[in-house]
Amino acid sequence: MFSFLQQALPVADWVENFTDWLTSTFAGLFSALQQAGQFLMDGMTGILTMIPPLLFILVLTVAAFFISNKKWGLTSFTLIGLLFIYNQGLWTDLMSTVTLVLLSSLLSIIIGVPLGILMAKNETAKKIITPILDFMQTMPGFVYLIPAVAFFGIGMVPGVFASVIFALPPTVRFTNLGIRQIPKELVEASDSFGGTAKQKLFKLELPLAKSTILAGINQTTMLALSMVVIASMIGAPGLGRGVLSALQRAQVGNGFVNGLALVILAIIIDRFTQNINKPKQQAAEKMPKSKKRKLGIAAGVVAAVVLLASFGFGGASEKTKGTINLSYVEWDTEVASTHVVGEVLKEMGYKVNTTPLDNAIMWESVAKGESDAMVAAWLPNTHKSQYAQYKDQVDDLGVNLKGAKVGIVVPDYMDVNSIADLSDQANKTITGIEPGAGVVNAAENTLKAYPNLADWKVSTSSSGAMTVALGQAIKNKQPIVITGWSPHWMFAKYGLKYLEDPKNAMGSAESIHTMARQGLKKDQPEAYKVLDNFHWTQKDMESVMLAINEGEDPSQAAKDWIKDHQKEVDEWKE
Amino acid sequence: MSKVKVEHLTKIFGKKQQQALAMIQENRSKNEIVEQTGATVGVYDASFEVNEGEIFVIMGLSGSGKSTMIRLLNRLIDPTSGEIYIDGENIAQMDKEALREVRRHKINMVFQNFGLFPHRTILENTEYGLEVRGVPKAERQAKAEQALDNSGLLTFKDQYPDQLSGGMQQRVGLARALANDPEILLMDEAFSALDPLIRREMQDELLDLQSNVQKTIIFITHDLNEALRIGDRIALMKDGQIMQIGTGEEILTHPANQYVRDFVEDVDRSKVLTAQNIMVPALTTNIEVDGPNVALNRMRKEEVSMLLAVDRKRKLKGSLTADKALEARKNNLTLKEVIDKNVRRIPKDMLVTDIFNLIFDSPAPLAVVEGDRLVGVVIRGSVLEALANTEEEVTTNV
Repeated sequence: MFSFLQQALPVADWVENFTDWLTSTFAGLFSALQQAGQFLMDGMTGILTMIPPLLFILVLTVAAFFISNKKWGLTSFTLIGLLFIYNQGLWTDLMSTVTLVLLSSLLSIIIGVPLGILMAKNETAKKIITPILDFMQTMPGFVYLIPAVAFFGIGMVPGVFASVIFALPPTVRFTNLGIRQIPKELVEASDSFGGTAKQKLFKLELPLAKSTILAGINQTTMLALSMVVIASMIGAPGLGRGVLSALQRAQVGNGFVNGLALVILAIIIDRFTQNINKPKQQAAEKMPKSKKRKLGIAAGVVAAVVLLASFGFGGASEKTKGTINLSYVEWDTEVASTHVVGEVLKEMGYKVNTTPLDNAIMWESVAKGESDAMVAAWLPNTHKSQYAQYKDQVDDLGVNLKGAKVGIVVPDYMDVNSIADLSDQANKTITGIEPGAGVVNAAENTLKAYPNLADWKVSTSSSGAMTVALGQAIKNKQPIVITGWSPHWMFAKYGLKYLEDPKNAMGSAESIHTMARQGLKKDQPEAYKVLDNFHWTQKDMESVMLAINEGEDPSQAAKDWIKDHQKEVDEWKE
Repeated sequence: MSKVKVEHLTKIFGKKQQQALAMIQENRSKNEIVEQTGATVGVYDASFEVNEGEIFVIMGLSGSGKSTMIRLLNRLIDPTSGEIYIDGENIAQMDKEALREVRRHKINMVFQNFGLFPHRTILENTEYGLEVRGVPKAERQAKAEQALDNSGLLTFKDQYPDQLSGGMQQRVGLARALANDPEILLMDEAFSALDPLIRREMQDELLDLQSNVQKTIIFITHDLNEALRIGDRIALMKDGQIMQIGTGEEILTHPANQYVRDFVEDVDRSKVLTAQNIMVPALTTNIEVDGPNVALNRMRKEEVSMLLAVDRKRKLKGSLTADKALEARKNNLTLKEVIDKNVRRIPKDMLVTDIFNLIFDSPAPLAVVEGDRLVGVVIRGSVLEALANTEEEVTTNV
């Protein structure tokens, strides 16, 4: 009778199967959406970045001045805030973020307002939609990333998809509320004169519900903005990526600057939408229609000129050999190697996009052909499970770095030398990195393999957080047990040691492989050759890693290394 | 031929409507039906006719179903059963399209809280009915401006409703309905949200209008005086049922049942009337503060030629006529010097029959006092009315 309590229902499998079915059934539709969306967003971002930043800032400042009814607060905030972002070199990221937020908000409005109207007009619809909205709003935003990747791969489109799902509810709710709040007598008045449902909607309901609907849209915009950071885990470009990589590499300063840029953007968007929502002054209403029309036409002309100008610029951009999409995980090792390969390809005349992703998603993106390649496959052990899953769908180009090692690492002042010696140190906790990382899976297998670790646990966080925790522990001479790997700059910075692994649960020495999507050889033979030939040593890698860790920009560090090792690099190209 | 004809109209809200309908056919009461089925009866088997060009008033307390009734007439609420004929066409059975045509051309409505659209100007509000009909802009604006001009609101046409007073807003509501030139005007407690003075003014305007345009007007009110003032015929409702239909006179003289009798506030004639039962509020001037100009101003406003003079504590000091006030103004005198101190005073509990003897040789109203504080005045009309009622009581009881 209670057998269902003894045995877990395979809900996860059901969802899995359903998503697989969706993905395979609507593959054509999803890929068309993905193509169109990507094209649209690249176009938008292109146009936005085409406009000279200082001109753009000026235009926005003037807009802020008029929108806030000539108050200086918002005007000066807009000017100073945007100049700050520009000064920090985050302008392109800002534009990507703006594109994402704009599109998410627009889609939310296009979907949400009609849904809200339906809800207001139809009790049954309201009963059905309300619980769905509750579900959408309370489900953690991360959950939407998973099907988003399955449907749309990596990049902006799944980011928008996830943002829309997450940010849609307020628009729907507020639209419904705004229309329902209209006094019954007014609705009766419209009906009693024989107004059709459409006339009622456009002449009465929408104009009166407008401010409530706009409040909902304002909320939606803010939620979309908050999804930006989360969506960057699946490759959505923009300010979120800066925040995420700062988190994974424990760079307080960088995280703060990117976060502050998001705050500035959020405040500007919020104030702009709120001011649009304010009741118009009588003066504005008294403005004759023709004058309004003239203003509209003038605004249109300005927009058209800007667009044309930007397309003109776009046409003038130099020809590239093509685009190579490299994906990687935000580990210091992979940041170094990916940027080196990326810079080499750029020198050859390719346009290179490097996208930091979560581990599993990186594999998936190469397997599905959304990324062209990655140089971050740790085999045979660390990425064992991913390799097992995707090995038939990727093109293994072989080793690019030998002698990499993963293991359980402790500071050298701790008197344990083997995993078998661990008993109750460090609160019986192994401090790990991202939950999806191979080294974490290996550590969990290790816990199962060693009886003395039966009641230990692996606590996951991020690569950056782990190194911070390590630094803190060493400063206070406290015991700590971490999942470590080399090459890594932490071995150069602190006195650390690998624990012996008699059962080989963490794997022996590993190699880092390069994986390309199937078909890259045919499409981009030159780039393929470079990727195929790319290899370097642990020492090379650690020198780049140290430079980055000391505050050098990854691209710059990679360029410096290439300059010093031109001969080796030239060998890759042959 | 009657303009509007309603037959066995019933509206039930809530669940188990069929069961409730069956109970209505068995003549069970509204309360019984609620207890048994949980369904609320809004209108209970109502039948009446409204003739062309008459003002038909539906009166009742709140909850009597009168608002539901008026909304059934233009199908803002769909009837549960029964027929509504307008010009012989049954609108209860009409499809949406035909109903919309009826609403656009034949029957329009004025609302209790005016029902004006706050985001549209007065002119845009007034032309709404024509706008949904698809009348070209120039033509509909001309008609709307004409309707506003008729109610003296043309100067406000570009203002928004919240910039106007209640009375003006309701005139706009009326103009909006009239701009459509409907044959039937439904008015749902149209003057209840206005203050008493404006209300009376609007009632007069409506009567003037009716003498000019001869519309069929169905008017809802909970105020007996309003009903008596404007109604050609009155229907009195209780619990969704129509208790009685007739002219004001018929309802007052031959109430069909106890409820109607109570409703028209038939004073309990077995009780002996005293001054305080029939007195009305006094129009006064405070002679310690007011000067002749203030007093004259008040007389003009209240349309009287005499005020009672009191001091700060409302102690009666005398009476002030218009002539005396003018004299005071001319000669720069205070009001104290010109008032006539000989005012007829009667105590609160003086009997009407005794007042009757006093009132005929007094030119001024009688001041009703408590000690020497003024509490009201007795005017001739109210005495006569009171006496007429008591006499009638005597004759019917014999």
